[in-house]
Amino acid sequence: MKIRYFARIRELTGENEVKWDKPADTLGMLMHDLADHYGQGFRRRVLADDGLSSTIIVLVNGYDARHLGGTDAPLRPDDTVSIFPPIGGG
Amino acid sequence: MFGWTGTILRVDLTQRRVTREATDPQHAKMYIGARGLGTKFMYDEVDPRVDPLSPGNKLLFAPGPFSGTHVPSAGRYDLITKGPLTGAIAASNCGGTFGAELKQAGYDMLIVEGRAEKPVYVWIKDDQVKIRDAGHIWGQSVPDTTRMIQAETDEDARLACIGPAGEKMVLFACVMNEMHRAAGRSGVGAVMGSKNLKAIAVVGTGRVKVADGEAFASAVLKAQQRIQAHPIGGEALKAYGTNVLMNVINEVGGLPTRNHRDAHFPNADKVGGEMLSAKYLLRPKACTSCSISCGRFTRVTNPKYAGEGEGPEYETSWALGPECGIDDLDAITKANYLCNELGIDTISMGVTIACAMDMYQAGILTLEDTDGLPLNFGNAEAMVEMVRKTGLRQGFGDKLALGSYRLAEGCGHPEYSMSVKKQEPAAYDPRAIQGIGLEYATSNRGACHVRGYTIASEVLGNPTKIDQHITQGKAELAITFQNLTAALDSSGACLFATFGIGQDELAEMLSALTGVPYSTEEFLKVGERIWNLERLWNLKAGFTAKDDTLPQRLLQEPIQTGPSRGKVNRLDQMLPEYYKLRGWDGDGIPGQEKLQELSLV
Repeated sequence: MKIRYFARIRELTGENEVKWDKPADTLGMLMHDLADHYGQGFRRRVLADDGLSSTIIVLVNGYDARHLGGTDAPLRPDDTVSIFPPIGGG
Repeated sequence: MFGWTGTILRVDLTQRRVTREATDPQHAKMYIGARGLGTKFMYDEVDPRVDPLSPGNKLLFAPGPFSGTHVPSAGRYDLITKGPLTGAIAASNCGGTFGAELKQAGYDMLIVEGRAEKPVYVWIKDDQVKIRDAGHIWGQSVPDTTRMIQAETDEDARLACIGPAGEKMVLFACVMNEMHRAAGRSGVGAVMGSKNLKAIAVVGTGRVKVADGEAFASAVLKAQQRIQAHPIGGEALKAYGTNVLMNVINEVGGLPTRNHRDAHFPNADKVGGEMLSAKYLLRPKACTSCSISCGRFTRVTNPKYAGEGEGPEYETSWALGPECGIDDLDAITKANYLCNELGIDTISMGVTIACAMDMYQAGILTLEDTDGLPLNFGNAEAMVEMVRKTGLRQGFGDKLALGSYRLAEGCGHPEYSMSVKKQEPAAYDPRAIQGIGLEYATSNRGACHVRGYTIASEVLGNPTKIDQHITQGKAELAITFQNLTAALDSSGACLFATFGIGQDELAEMLSALTGVPYSTEEFLKVGERIWNLERLWNLKAGFTAKDDTLPQRLLQEPIQTGPSRGKVNRLDQMLPEYYKLRGWDGDGIPGQEKLQELSLV
């Protein structure tokens, strides 16, 4: 699986993109695994008590996870997951 | 009056006459100020069929009630006129400090009419107004104009001026203030140039009177706290600027690429906000009364493109970058500096060059047309040179100066122009993000993202997330954003204030400031009234429902790569509902019932 990080999330991970080999059937499982790997700063930013933080944007192959079932979104080994902090502009 | 100064300044350049008139309290209440009040004046005073570059067109500089007060993120003013690029009514919105200064000088609006016989500038110091010769300044860049006029007037004078592009009436020329801030869209700078008006310089020492000081201070404090506590208004925009959008829009498959041939750019990260902050940013910059600080003061060290200035914003980085197939941020930033110095809208400039590149690759344009420069997609050096040529209307730049529609039409291929009502769109592909397509098609000043920023919901999830790929609910979404933005623009607030506050807080501050009780519903109703009045003006100018459309490429040619591969925009599924919800008939004409409801008959 390919995981891509942007803006403040990139600062927290220190990486732009990683190849992630640990299997995860759902987005929720993946995000918890990533939080275990990157630590409390990352966990606070991306996870809330009941799932994903309401302010971050997580895409699975370019589709917003909020329309794929959130933490229940199914994942496959060849998926690309992109994680953004709250951002705006225009 | 409270909130409003009660005075409108009128400068007739033909007669060299300066007059003042009272602001009509009823008009102020119904249209708030800035874009709204300016539209009302245009409707009452200017024939919509006027040649936009003739003396009969007028140019209105209009701050809003919030301008010059402590309302957070309220550094905006509007320039209202008939836009020469579109032929539609243009309210071009700009930040910085000029709007606040004009208000503190004592004016709710400055109306410029007629045409000066020779180049002039207008110097305003509170109630002293002079029309001065500008013959020695004509031809100067925006920074040199600013420095020269400040030396002649006051070193603290705030300027709105044009560069060579405005003088030469490039159809998408800007009016610039504080050197780097642009009233960018629709060619308002060309209107200023047509009037032989080089600049407005202003110093204001007055204060805006407040109706209920205690309630106003409380409402302002609450709004400030909410913006600062918001993850975007309080943190993200200062850290990365608007260009942070580059990657997310690309990741959802909505980044127009190579004149909208595609909507995914593999090298987007090379030209995005993260790269800009890491390698170019010297410091963030804010407008007056704003803590968000989205502006970027940057430096390019590469000797080929070396320089310092402000930008690029997201739309600029995209238009001069991926839309032209370019991933060289040095060149993009240099082209942005040139646009600022010459006074050119970066969005229309980039998309027009992309259109030329597309036609060059198709063999419609040849080296003979392009002054010997190969205009293939990705040629950064040629892109920068074309910006310079356009601003000075040299060689092929004289044709680029007409915008993409007239350029492509002149070549017999208008289908190569990515434009709506002859204005180029911003950095969101309507095939990947359905609602923004409806918004572009119905925007009263031609394709424009900031008339109704549906991207907030469709991509960013602010305030709520709606699927970008569906058409259901998008008519209502576009209308909500369009109405809110029309009211917000008219107050003098910045659109980015909505990263923290909404219509409730805006209405509360406006009520305390002016003493006119605006409920949230009444505030939004003003926005709807303004939208409909702009529509009526455009209908009188000759626009019809046939103009509420998108380029055929976006309706018929599917995206080639990326997450939105295979998508086209389904405007036909949204537009009829949009008209119906607006209370307009099938031809897009506002019905009598709606006009009565809005007190427009």
